[in-house]
Amino acid sequence: MSARSWNLAALAVAGALFALPFVFLLAVSLAPEGRGLAEPLAALRDPHFENYRLALERMGGFGRLFANTLFVTVVSIVGQCLTCSLAGFALARISFRGRDVLFACVLATMMLPEQVTAIPRFLLFRELGLVDGFGPLVLPTILGGAPFFVFLFRQYFLSLPPELDEAARLDGAGPWRIYWSIALPLAKPMLATVAIFTFLGAWNDFWTPLVYLYSDENRTLTLALAGFQRSFNVAVEHMLAASAVVLAPCVLVYFVAQKVFLRGVRVAASKH
Amino acid sequence: MSAWLLGAALALLAEPEAPYAGRELVVMVDEKSFESWSVLEQIARDFEAAHPGLVVRVIDQGGAVGQQDKSRFMLTGDLPLDVTRIDVTEFGAFHAQGALIDIDAHLRALPGFDEANYLDVLDGFRAADGHLFGLPSTFTPYVMYFNRDLLARAGLEPPQPNWTWDDLLAVARATTRDTDGDGRIDQWGISLTQWLQAVVPWIWQAGGDVLDPTLSRSTIGEPAALEALRFLRRLLHEERVASFDATFENQYSQGLFQAGRCAFYGPVGYWETYRFKYLTEFEWDVAPLPRGKHAATAIAMTGYVVPRTSREPALAAAFVAELSGPKYQYTLAEIGNGVPAWKAAATSESFLDPRRAPRSENVFLDVLPEARFLPSLANWRKIEALCQSELQGALLSETYDVAEAARRMQEKTDAFLAGEARRANLPLLPRFALEACFALAVLGALAAWIVRRSREPRRGFASDARGALTLLAPWAVGFLCLFVGPAAVSFALSFCAWSPLESIERVRFAGFENWFRLASDDTFHTSLVATATYAFASVPLGLALALWLAWLLRRESTLAVCVRTIVYLPAILSPVIVAATWRFLLDPDRGFVNHVLGLVGIAGPAWTRSEPWIVPSFVLMSLWSVGAQMLVFLAALQALDPTLEEAARVDGAGPWARFRHVVLPQLSPVLLFNLVLGLVGGFQIFAQAYVLTGGGPGDASRFLVLYLYETGFRHLDMGYASTLAWVLFAILGCFCWVLVKTSKNWVHYAARSRG
Repeated sequence: MSARSWNLAALAVAGALFALPFVFLLAVSLAPEGRGLAEPLAALRDPHFENYRLALERMGGFGRLFANTLFVTVVSIVGQCLTCSLAGFALARISFRGRDVLFACVLATMMLPEQVTAIPRFLLFRELGLVDGFGPLVLPTILGGAPFFVFLFRQYFLSLPPELDEAARLDGAGPWRIYWSIALPLAKPMLATVAIFTFLGAWNDFWTPLVYLYSDENRTLTLALAGFQRSFNVAVEHMLAASAVVLAPCVLVYFVAQKVFLRGVRVAASKH
Repeated sequence: MSAWLLGAALALLAEPEAPYAGRELVVMVDEKSFESWSVLEQIARDFEAAHPGLVVRVIDQGGAVGQQDKSRFMLTGDLPLDVTRIDVTEFGAFHAQGALIDIDAHLRALPGFDEANYLDVLDGFRAADGHLFGLPSTFTPYVMYFNRDLLARAGLEPPQPNWTWDDLLAVARATTRDTDGDGRIDQWGISLTQWLQAVVPWIWQAGGDVLDPTLSRSTIGEPAALEALRFLRRLLHEERVASFDATFENQYSQGLFQAGRCAFYGPVGYWETYRFKYLTEFEWDVAPLPRGKHAATAIAMTGYVVPRTSREPALAAAFVAELSGPKYQYTLAEIGNGVPAWKAAATSESFLDPRRAPRSENVFLDVLPEARFLPSLANWRKIEALCQSELQGALLSETYDVAEAARRMQEKTDAFLAGEARRANLPLLPRFALEACFALAVLGALAAWIVRRSREPRRGFASDARGALTLLAPWAVGFLCLFVGPAAVSFALSFCAWSPLESIERVRFAGFENWFRLASDDTFHTSLVATATYAFASVPLGLALALWLAWLLRRESTLAVCVRTIVYLPAILSPVIVAATWRFLLDPDRGFVNHVLGLVGIAGPAWTRSEPWIVPSFVLMSLWSVGAQMLVFLAALQALDPTLEEAARVDGAGPWARFRHVVLPQLSPVLLFNLVLGLVGGFQIFAQAYVLTGGGPGDASRFLVLYLYETGFRHLDMGYASTLAWVLFAILGCFCWVLVKTSKNWVHYAARSRG
């Protein structure tokens, strides 16, 4: 066998292995109640799409859940993209005293587990009267809560040639002008990448909504999904159907945005 | 007369009076089914109708994944909460830490309230002074499940209600066999559960106990308790008629009992009845636990209490009574996730439905006279955790000395109880001390930065520098308020003793006690080793796999693009879903992985149920999520300068040499990037272990973040949890610092880059 066919075989096997758990999840979610685990392939002969209808029904007010989750996600994306690109731009393209210390601070925030700051943060948000609202969910992202993205933007802006803003600076443009009219338009692939990462993070977040949201009208999809996972008398099949519903937008967004996404990572990775 | 008429007419015309206008009741429930949820809503509406003007808000606790986090945070933040549901083993902690309101008088003032309406389980929420602090929802005594068909095939009768340890041994001997003659036992007499709550009944039956009556000293090393442990060991190792069952960690897995491969399964509670709902392959039933010197069993129970942040204790007490009253308890009986505490409901057909297995459901009621609660301690959960690994060792390991293990359990428990007693006498931190820490840290960070900045040589244009600072302003606000401030508070807490059940104003100063504890904390050492093993195994393997995949996928063929997408997919899943999926795949008995290994003639390991295989299981799972790293490598590979590789090819370098000497050096910055991120992520592994194993078996997967989370939120020790967090922070900081410092020797930056 030639090296090329070995490669093809390896690819096919890798693809199958990585797809397996997904196939499993889909198969069980379509299996008749109570049979999924014993014979996951039962779904092939007789798919039970009503599992999905039941799952949606039981989540209660799917429209509201979806709208809440979408709101939190969109605000997070916009906030995260702006704040992190601003910070990344300043750290990469402007030389000023104290810059390296600030960059070290960005990296340090990655190393403290979030469980530790949870209680002091909660008390702070309570003082601000933001509990049981979306504030505690979106404020950390608006204020650039994810150091990883600041880091990505910094790397990206570092990779752009220095001549770009030197010309603008000679024309008398200030940092904000350069950021807004030169750097940001060039950063589209990176913005897309950060947007997708933020989307996935915000969409899948469970713990923050759990701790901060109380009212029924504020619930998000993951909270509703957790309702399935804890229930003793919900069949595994229905639980996995609900998981698949919550998961679907993530897969969709990823498929649609795959190309841009890869380009963003490529530029960030190419130069350090 | 006319004035009176006028008044009466006016009263009729006026709005109906709403004596409860503007008042609100916040009720936190954790309902296990959708059916009970709708009944609960109805009860709330009826309660509102009976109290005009009152608003009842029913909040969901969030279920098994979040457990009690939500109510903990509400208590910590002094947010109004009028009714919440707790486990009876937590009652001691809630009561001792002043987290509950005494509702005894309110309950007794309710019309028709009578203790005689309940089964004899109210003591679970009764304080030492006899006052009731809450009422039960559902409960279950620990019993034994058994396979009727299997016993019948062996020509044996189902156990009598007063059967004994010797009877159990005899039946187990008669049913343990090697059915397919391969020299390995595949049908067991009994599948034993071995968490502390399930072992305590055996100890009681032998006449022993886990704590002395004053609850200040452990007695698990005394002869009676040892006798019970020795009996269990005899079943497991000398007679070899018992296997142990770890399915309690695996809600969906199929244990020995469900596979029809053991006669008895226990001690377990009523929750198994729900789990066995789909079990129709054989007839199963329940029996009381066999008796030793005495008959005894333990009770598990949940109930509703009124936390200290309630503004309406009287109304809250009335609502608690509704929740454990007839309206709701019949529904619970129907749904069957526990034994209803309301006597009439528990003895009705709703509960004792003859058409529904098990046939002898009344056993759950019959054993009540001999059932006891576990000791009502300030911190039962912590004691359970302290004893767990020794207990598993004492029972499961062939070569363990029981007396030695029991002595160690006793020592650990005694040391812990003494520490708890000491902590109660520590001085309270002055008011606003934590707020001061927060403010000082924020101001200090600002000041430090300004000083540091003034020492650096000026660079760039002044106007640019001002601009840069305004660009950084939003991030800086977040950094100071959401990171520096909270981190400072948590650092301060690492020198304090504080339970999140108490108000934040009740923080006590403990000096360096938490830091000294690190040295003698075995769980911490185990957890550190497990975390490091996991990180140092999963990071290099993950990097290698990611690099290999990226290398295979670097060309733009259709197959490559498809596989690329598939490989990245797992990385977009929430860890909770990933863990749930792997739970099914890695199941030792019916899981897919072992099935495939079996096809090629390899007997698969017990994966998540065996101590040596648990960390490898998590490493395996982590490999499945290398998609993000693969993408970063792929991007870097595609951005490589092809002329270099071409030049090497012309010089006659083989594929491996080209990869090693041309490609790899060019990838080194990306390698560093992935290495740092991988280590940070690896050391912080949490969600997967939390969902999949909860730290077990033993402490084998109690990774650092999981341990600190449990310490803070389950064992209510925020001070020590903060200490653990800072240890982790220091470790990660050191690793990253060393990596970045040494990277100059092996990371090659292209000449044109800057940074």
